[in-house]
Amino acid sequence: MPLTLPADRAPAEPILAARGITKRFPGVLALDHVDFEVQAGEVHAVLGQNGAGKTTLMNILFGLVQPDEGGLYLRGQRVHFRSPHDAIAQGIGMVHQTRRLVSAHTVLENIVLGHPRVRGFLNLRGARREVEALCHRYGFTVDLGARVWQLSEGERQWVEILKALYGGAKILILDEPTSVLTPPEVKTLLAGLQALVRDRGVTVLLVTHKLPVVMAASHRVTVFRSGSVVARLRTGEATEEILVQHMIGREVAFRTADRSTETGRPLLHVEQLSAFNDRGLLALRGVSFSLRAGEVLGVAGVTGNGQEELAQVLAGLRPATSGKVRFDDRDVTHLSPLERWRMGVGYIPAERIEVASIAAFSLVENTALNYHFDPAFTPRGLLDDAGLDQLTRRILSAYNVKAPHQYARARHLSGGNLQRLILGRVLSRRPRLLIAHLPTQGLDVEATAFVRAKLLDARAEGAAVLLISEDLDEILSLSDWVAPIYEGRFVAVLLREQADSETVGAMMAGLQKEAGAR
Amino acid sequence: MRLGRYELTLEPRPAVSAVYTVLTAVVAILLALALSSFLFLSADASLLGAYRAVFSYAFFNPRGILATVQRAIYLLFCTYAFLVPLRAGLWNIGLPGQVFAGALAAFAVPFVLRAQEQTLALPPGLLILLMVAAAAAAGAMLGGFAGLLRARLQVNEILVTMMLNSILFWLVAYMIKEGGPFMGATAEGEGFTLPAPLTAPLLRGVPFTAALALGAAVLLDLLFAKTALGYRIRAFGENPAAARYGGISPVALSLLVFLLGGAFAGLAGYHAFTAVPGVYKIPGNYGFYGDLAFYGIISALIARGSAVGAVPIAVLFAGLSLGARFAQGALHLPFGVDYALLGLLMMTFIASHALYQFRLAWRRVPSEVLQPAPTELPEG
Repeated sequence: MPLTLPADRAPAEPILAARGITKRFPGVLALDHVDFEVQAGEVHAVLGQNGAGKTTLMNILFGLVQPDEGGLYLRGQRVHFRSPHDAIAQGIGMVHQTRRLVSAHTVLENIVLGHPRVRGFLNLRGARREVEALCHRYGFTVDLGARVWQLSEGERQWVEILKALYGGAKILILDEPTSVLTPPEVKTLLAGLQALVRDRGVTVLLVTHKLPVVMAASHRVTVFRSGSVVARLRTGEATEEILVQHMIGREVAFRTADRSTETGRPLLHVEQLSAFNDRGLLALRGVSFSLRAGEVLGVAGVTGNGQEELAQVLAGLRPATSGKVRFDDRDVTHLSPLERWRMGVGYIPAERIEVASIAAFSLVENTALNYHFDPAFTPRGLLDDAGLDQLTRRILSAYNVKAPHQYARARHLSGGNLQRLILGRVLSRRPRLLIAHLPTQGLDVEATAFVRAKLLDARAEGAAVLLISEDLDEILSLSDWVAPIYEGRFVAVLLREQADSETVGAMMAGLQKEAGAR
Repeated sequence: MRLGRYELTLEPRPAVSAVYTVLTAVVAILLALALSSFLFLSADASLLGAYRAVFSYAFFNPRGILATVQRAIYLLFCTYAFLVPLRAGLWNIGLPGQVFAGALAAFAVPFVLRAQEQTLALPPGLLILLMVAAAAAAGAMLGGFAGLLRARLQVNEILVTMMLNSILFWLVAYMIKEGGPFMGATAEGEGFTLPAPLTAPLLRGVPFTAALALGAAVLLDLLFAKTALGYRIRAFGENPAAARYGGISPVALSLLVFLLGGAFAGLAGYHAFTAVPGVYKIPGNYGFYGDLAFYGIISALIARGSAVGAVPIAVLFAGLSLGARFAQGALHLPFGVDYALLGLLMMTFIASHALYQFRLAWRRVPSEVLQPAPTELPEG
């Protein structure tokens, strides 16, 4: 139920405005002459896909990042925020996507920590009275003596909000506040924010890529796409479909895979697969699909909706809490990664540096990461250095990896070259099932095209490919099947012909959730 | 740091040649010796005489050389015990405990077989072999315990091994002191003396454990450089997440390196109490050997994980600690000079690591960067 602004409030002068903001990062134009306004006493949603520039703008508003061009205006006055201290002093508070609390300290200690008035000795008793008064005023119930590690994610979020309010915040920026919360916690959070705005005159900036959150809790919405503002709407006048169109854009380039190849026999069956994430929340909630040899299934979704867990469970790196995985007519649900590699599973993780390579090792030693268990490369328990050397040189030339030589350290490769190396290494084992998680993330155009072409080559050679990506173009151009994923569930599994960017984009953002297997 | 038109920065060295590695080590040793002059001078000793006393005893006196070799063997085993888990990124701080476990197990063999009553049930060669195996197995068990807790339950291996040190220290005390099962004939807080046929055979005064220690150095370096297992250990040590991705089982690997490391510490225990002439029992001051075991950590760190590289370092530590101890007695230097010298060595070695990994670079600052400084104050 969209909210409406009180009718008696005319669109007055904005409480906070950014005009003509441009911000460049090396090689990226993050914000391109952006104008942005927030009215006092509203919940203002900032919507956009990853990389659209929302977080960069919020960081500028909070003084974390300085704009290259343009300026900020607070109640019509030009302001300069050299650091968050300046922003806090002007009554702006920010709650970041990742929690920034000291988990061994009490709630009260965390709230007081970093407050400008707290210098030298800590007057916790006085602070407790003030925070209690604040809680009472805003209607919060938090145990101030509890240690932060004892709290749930939702409660921790409230502590951060309380901390910002204690710092004197009148304008509250929340960056993806719902991403780590359970549905009931989301409901509580949104209701609480509305109360803050309605009763206390706080202004809230809600950064999100989730449409239901926008629709449920905001008065107005600004939509970002590729560093620009593409729409400013009253939420009451918007529909989820319109927002999706703005978010994704209409000009979607299609480059579909060659569909002439015959698909082979069923290779992978996944039934009702569920798994916990690292926080112990159920992140993957009953995913089912099957995949044939020579097919690509594109899992489309915004990061944090269970994709990581899906990839890791299929690779054997994360235990399944329930459900079944059958590969090649064999139950592999509980097999170790090694047993799966031996059966012909290949995995390209999203974390190239942290997981898929060893920075201090040479490229040859990195190749060995996929070969140290292969009897052909470990005669009598010894590593076949010559064979690995030859193999690495073949990969370097076949995958255009730009490296001084095969004994250079992996840490000296650029992101694109490292990904080519990883791709070449995994594909050189000719996997029958290839799991590719964000395979082109952060790559330049040329490297992206190369990686995509290689994935299609693998498919043409009969591999079943599970492609997990945030990039809708990529999913649509490579996949035979498209599965939008939202909050740990496949919203649907669509034939490529039935999937258009609007439908899939809406499903990725949580629309038509009912269509999925609930 | 900007100095006029030049800039002095500390930057990482791209690649380090073997010559340079040796050179930094030599410089570190010389620096430590130079710094130790202050120790000697403060004690009003003749500087030259003090150095001569240290070195002549440690490396030129026939008795001194043998003592140096014995202690170096002990330190080498301790070094390997730390080094193997270190290559997998795990810290085995349980060297003393594993040494004691090895010693107890070695003495348990003749004790169980009633061999201390001078009637050998089995040929001595076989018994010695049994003692070596028992010592290695006991050390491995104690290490493996920490490895298993680490691998299965994520219990910090440093804490577990530290605690085990204490437990084993008091277990040894219980075993050898008055009324303990391993109590010696004189009951002066020492263990029983090993019957002569069961002491480790010597060749020119050097026990066979020297061959074990040197052989292990070569085998360990080969293990890490050439084998698939060594590759897995190194991969796990550099990046556990990548190793897991590569199909390496963290549980099996953690357990394995601690078993292997513990076995080496057990051998150190065997060596210290059954192979050194004049000891041949668990002495009352056995705690000293526990403290000494920690020098294995230092020498493994200084050798940057190379077992062969640790050999000269262990010899140096052994020689200098013994030589300084000798000089202390001969020249009436203050108590603790030997430890002070080892401490200085440790500090200079660790300091040399900074220069090993980084280099000072002089660069001329491009003239366009340098702002022309106003020569006169502006008016007003």
